[in-house]
Amino acid sequence: MSPRFRIALLVLAGLVLMPAAAQVMAALPPFGSTIARYGARINAITPEARHVANMVSAINFDLRGLDTLGEEFMLLAAITGTVVLLRGRRGEGTTGRAMRLPGRAVIPRSDAVVLGCRIAGPLTALFGLYVVLHATVTPGGGFQGGVILASGTLLIYLGEGYAGWRDSIRSHWLDALEGGGALLFALCGLVPMLTGAAFMQNILPLGTFRDLFSGGLMLVENLGVALAVTGGFTQLFLEFMEETREAEEPDEPGEESA
Amino acid sequence: MTILLPLLLLFAAISGTAVVLVRDPNRQVFAIAANGLVLTILFDALQAPDVALSELAVGTAAVPLLFLVALMAVRANASGEEP
Repeated sequence: MSPRFRIALLVLAGLVLMPAAAQVMAALPPFGSTIARYGARINAITPEARHVANMVSAINFDLRGLDTLGEEFMLLAAITGTVVLLRGRRGEGTTGRAMRLPGRAVIPRSDAVVLGCRIAGPLTALFGLYVVLHATVTPGGGFQGGVILASGTLLIYLGEGYAGWRDSIRSHWLDALEGGGALLFALCGLVPMLTGAAFMQNILPLGTFRDLFSGGLMLVENLGVALAVTGGFTQLFLEFMEETREAEEPDEPGEESA
Repeated sequence: MTILLPLLLLFAAISGTAVVLVRDPNRQVFAIAANGLVLTILFDALQAPDVALSELAVGTAAVPLLFLVALMAVRANASGEEP
């Protein structure tokens, strides 16, 4: 495709699409002024019907729980794909050494970094747990808390180095977390059917409004998401980090001379 | 509050443009992280704390890290293959 043809295509597409886009933009509600009708309806219904203060969690885990189940398995599929692609090349061995660029000086980690990570790591994990547990009360929930927990494990890498990170993070545990979380979420959909209710119907006691234990089945689903996201993201970090691991023996015999 | 939103939107535009204009991949990763931080504050100012938390964790921590590691792996493999 020549540059001139590309520009002609761009202009043509612009001519077709711009009027339509302008029309849609003109019909948008003004910035920041109104709460959409759906939002107002949710705000009115959810506190009474589900005893939940965080509307986003109520929508995610209850009102459109099936969507979230799909997203959950999307994450599972994406992580599985990454693991299959990356682990296939590297094998499952673990060495302590990270790969280095030849000729680059190795700067020892300063005590301040180690201390900072040892203080910030547990605090990050604690905050992640807080966000997970308060899913139905305050902003956040399983996904956000799970990602915070997963990034907390990265502070181990930053503070203790590659060997320490590999020692403390076990790949099999992560597999179990990821799969177990997704399974828990799927069971939350199926178990209500055993009692004669609909798929993913909220059959547990709803608890008290603004209490930690509110929302019933949402709490279990939230836990499943938190487990799956923590395991999944840490697994993702692990597989990417593994790419910087020095292989035990070089792939090709000629590589040592580099 | 009236000055805060336009300022944040301006910052978002500036940091977003910076991601494109910075050409060195290593620096670009940090530009992405900075852009994620600006977006986090913007979402928070627009009263979307849920989205802000996600953006903070994914946009300023997870994605830049994966980019950095990928860059390192590419560079290490390239220097390993050269005779």
